[in-house]
Amino acid sequence: MARAVAVVGFGQTKHGRRDEVSYPELVYEAVKAALDDAGITPDDIDAVVSGSMPPAMEGIGAPHLYLSDALSAFGKPSIRVATCGSTGISIAQMAYYHVASGLFDVVLAVGHEKMNENDPQGTMTTVGEPYFQRPFSGGAPGIFSMQAHQYMYRYNLPEERVREAAAIISVNHHENALDNPYAHIRMKITVEDVLNSKIIAYPVRLLDVCPSSDGAAAVIFAAEEKAKRFPRKPAWVKGLYYAGEEAFFGDSDKVVWQSAIIAAREAYRMAGIQNPRKEIDVAEVYNPFTFQELIFYECFGFCEPGEACRLVEEGVVLRGGELPCAPSGGVLCTNPIGATGLIRVGEAALQVTGRAGQRQVPGAKTALAHAMGGVDQLNGVMILSSEL
Amino acid sequence: MGRKVAIVGVAQLANEEVSNYNIREITYRVIKDLLEQCGMKRDEIETIVTSSSDYWQGISCSNTFYYDAIGGYLKNSSKTEDDGAFAFLYGCLRVMSGHFDTAIVHAVTKCSEVPDPSTLTNLTADPFYQRPLGLDDLSAAALQAKLYMDRYGVTEEQAARVVVKNLENALDNPYAARRAKITVDDVLRSEVVAYPLKTLDCPQDSDATCAVLLAAEEKVGKFTDTPVWVKGVGWSVDNFFLGDRDLLNGALARAAKKAYAMAGINRPREELDVAEICAPYSFQELLWYEQLGFCAAGEGGKLVDAGITARGGELPVNPSGGVLAANPYVARGLIRIAEAALQVMGKAGDRQVPGVKTALAHSTHGLAGQHHSVIILGKEGN
Amino acid sequence: MSQAEVKFLEQVVYLPYRWSMGPVYTRFFEEFKKKKIMGTRCPQCKRVLVPARQFCPRCFVDTPEWVEVSDHGTIRTWALINFKFSGQPMDPPYITGLIDLEGADVGFLHFIGGVNLADLAEVRARIKIGGKVRARWKEKPQGNILDIECFEPVD
Repeated sequence: MARAVAVVGFGQTKHGRRDEVSYPELVYEAVKAALDDAGITPDDIDAVVSGSMPPAMEGIGAPHLYLSDALSAFGKPSIRVATCGSTGISIAQMAYYHVASGLFDVVLAVGHEKMNENDPQGTMTTVGEPYFQRPFSGGAPGIFSMQAHQYMYRYNLPEERVREAAAIISVNHHENALDNPYAHIRMKITVEDVLNSKIIAYPVRLLDVCPSSDGAAAVIFAAEEKAKRFPRKPAWVKGLYYAGEEAFFGDSDKVVWQSAIIAAREAYRMAGIQNPRKEIDVAEVYNPFTFQELIFYECFGFCEPGEACRLVEEGVVLRGGELPCAPSGGVLCTNPIGATGLIRVGEAALQVTGRAGQRQVPGAKTALAHAMGGVDQLNGVMILSSEL
Repeated sequence: MGRKVAIVGVAQLANEEVSNYNIREITYRVIKDLLEQCGMKRDEIETIVTSSSDYWQGISCSNTFYYDAIGGYLKNSSKTEDDGAFAFLYGCLRVMSGHFDTAIVHAVTKCSEVPDPSTLTNLTADPFYQRPLGLDDLSAAALQAKLYMDRYGVTEEQAARVVVKNLENALDNPYAARRAKITVDDVLRSEVVAYPLKTLDCPQDSDATCAVLLAAEEKVGKFTDTPVWVKGVGWSVDNFFLGDRDLLNGALARAAKKAYAMAGINRPREELDVAEICAPYSFQELLWYEQLGFCAAGEGGKLVDAGITARGGELPVNPSGGVLAANPYVARGLIRIAEAALQVMGKAGDRQVPGVKTALAHSTHGLAGQHHSVIILGKEGN
Repeated sequence: MSQAEVKFLEQVVYLPYRWSMGPVYTRFFEEFKKKKIMGTRCPQCKRVLVPARQFCPRCFVDTPEWVEVSDHGTIRTWALINFKFSGQPMDPPYITGLIDLEGADVGFLHFIGGVNLADLAEVRARIKIGGKVRARWKEKPQGNILDIECFEPVD
């Protein structure tokens, strides 16, 4: 079967508003950091894969060509992958398949975004197809808010209870971000702050929602024999999967969300995980929106349907809990979209190899990384572990 | 090379068949055609890799628009951007990993729906240094062509012979968009659009979609008696700024070297039976001959003069008519692969080159060919 | 280097597109112009899909049977948009939602209105998941998705 593949290096930029660097310079920063982390030079890289949000985001067509030098891709095989918000996890999966195929031993995966060079919601609106749906998305907030509303109604959950759980998530992640020197938003907030923040797309409010970040991340994948020779402990990829739904937003249920359920289920199967709540030590879930995060907990089997609020109320998914989510502060505090899914993988790798510094979850051995893309359409999951 | 992979089915739709339909519809139809051809049901699809491009569609996250049309409902599908060959290469990697026994690979472009290719390729230029100068695919190719002419004495007549050859070949290709019997003089007298390039030296933008089914060795027999084995692959990219590059000696030689090594090819001109080369501009086909090792540097013109790359020649190049005859920009790379596969299968209809055992498919994208990929296909036991 | 020393190049990228509707959407909008909402029924799963489609995404077969659905329905979900971005269809606040039209098996994405958008309390009182709504059509439909101005609560 497939040869074993591990993450052997991870680098990222300081995410946030990076007006002081150009787009290529931003990418270079992450690539250098990853190469340094792995103790190698570009000569040791056999292939490069990269990706980001639509070219319209930065107004540059074919970004993998524009950035080929910053990606250290000169003279190398270089492919661009792009799956909207799930791009980061798709980049990781593509790098994995480069190595698992047997054709390449060491592959550099890079995700990048410079969102502050345009109007991100304006760009994201162009994801909606022009015939029927484009005028109605209300940007990402509109879509996720519709989903949040549906969730509350489905399980007959009082809005106040769900808002409170979402606010607790927000407080928890913002606090975690204070321990992450790379995070964009680093501030201490309270539940009251969240509940009283400005409405963005009712029922979702400003502090329930991610920032627009500039940032890049690079992860180095290596085949088993090579991985063991790197200075860093390898974080093994134990399972991965991806699934997507129809193009019409109204065609599928986004509460019992099949693409998320399937992506996790198949990744678990490959990783031999039967009880995710018990066997996963830390989760870096794609969480630009607090309300949506609740839905992911359920789709990933952390609890029964409708019970996600309890996970929060009982502290299960909070810092110090049984299954801490987003020790990095998550997407909620840092969202350079093209890099975001890849940052999840990098953070998961740090966690299972004990290299997450202040944000380390003690004893973490198995981690879940995830990203979502499209208009609530695509989901990808990757499981990493310290054990082969 | 590890786990062996073969192409077991090919489907294409082009021109009138696609121009009056939206991208979802044509994607659905080409996938249905492929599934029927191979006797595969949608349930049996394991994974799909597609290639399209946001700016070349006007819909960002382009594959989300047709994710279900490609048979992808609740399936594992990804998108590579800007080059149909990327989808093919990634599809191969997925099957070679052992996680999937089959993979559908797809690409789509409708030039009729999008702004001028010059407008779109101008957007790939650096906004500070290149874009204000109007640098685009055409002007970059012109810079490269002029350098090529000056360096080696390649002439406009020799480049024109490429156009004559390809457009005449296209007469036998129902999927080509521009098909004609013309003369060298016709090419030379066409309007200068970016000296030394004239209208007829440039590609014919078109609409097309293409899908290919890949299968691992153990599964091949289920689908076809005429599998086309992937014998070698190689791809590579150059620096970004034109001034940083050697425009006459870039990524193609590197990509070809890797593909040939994997396929065990030492003398490409003798060992290849046909080549589908992505040359949007006439001069580029000559330059790519050299970079692919068909002849020495500067000698590309002589090959076409001697008829070596003509349909009946020693190494026919672009029996389909190539990109000069049809340029559905992102899909063209996958179409080269599909055409090369049809040649090996013996299913290339009126454009069939007799006795093909080994074929080369090539794709390029980016200004003056910044990125290149080379794929060697062949019959078993070759 | 501080932000004050770095320069910025500003530009708006203007790109004209011309998308083919294909025969199915073309017919959908011809009917829409007559204030009719058309769906197609899948011969296999029997779901009625709106807008009308060429094929069923789940069964992956052609769906040639056209069915008119009602312009009345119930709200599946909604969100009140309260932020600005380039290319927005109108200035906020406005409501976007999924409507389950009578006769259709999938949700239809559109605006919801007929309520004082500046008053959140009123919005919450009158716009509810499961609430009945009907389309408010333009006086002179043009044959595009905005021929319906919005869906309004039916009290």
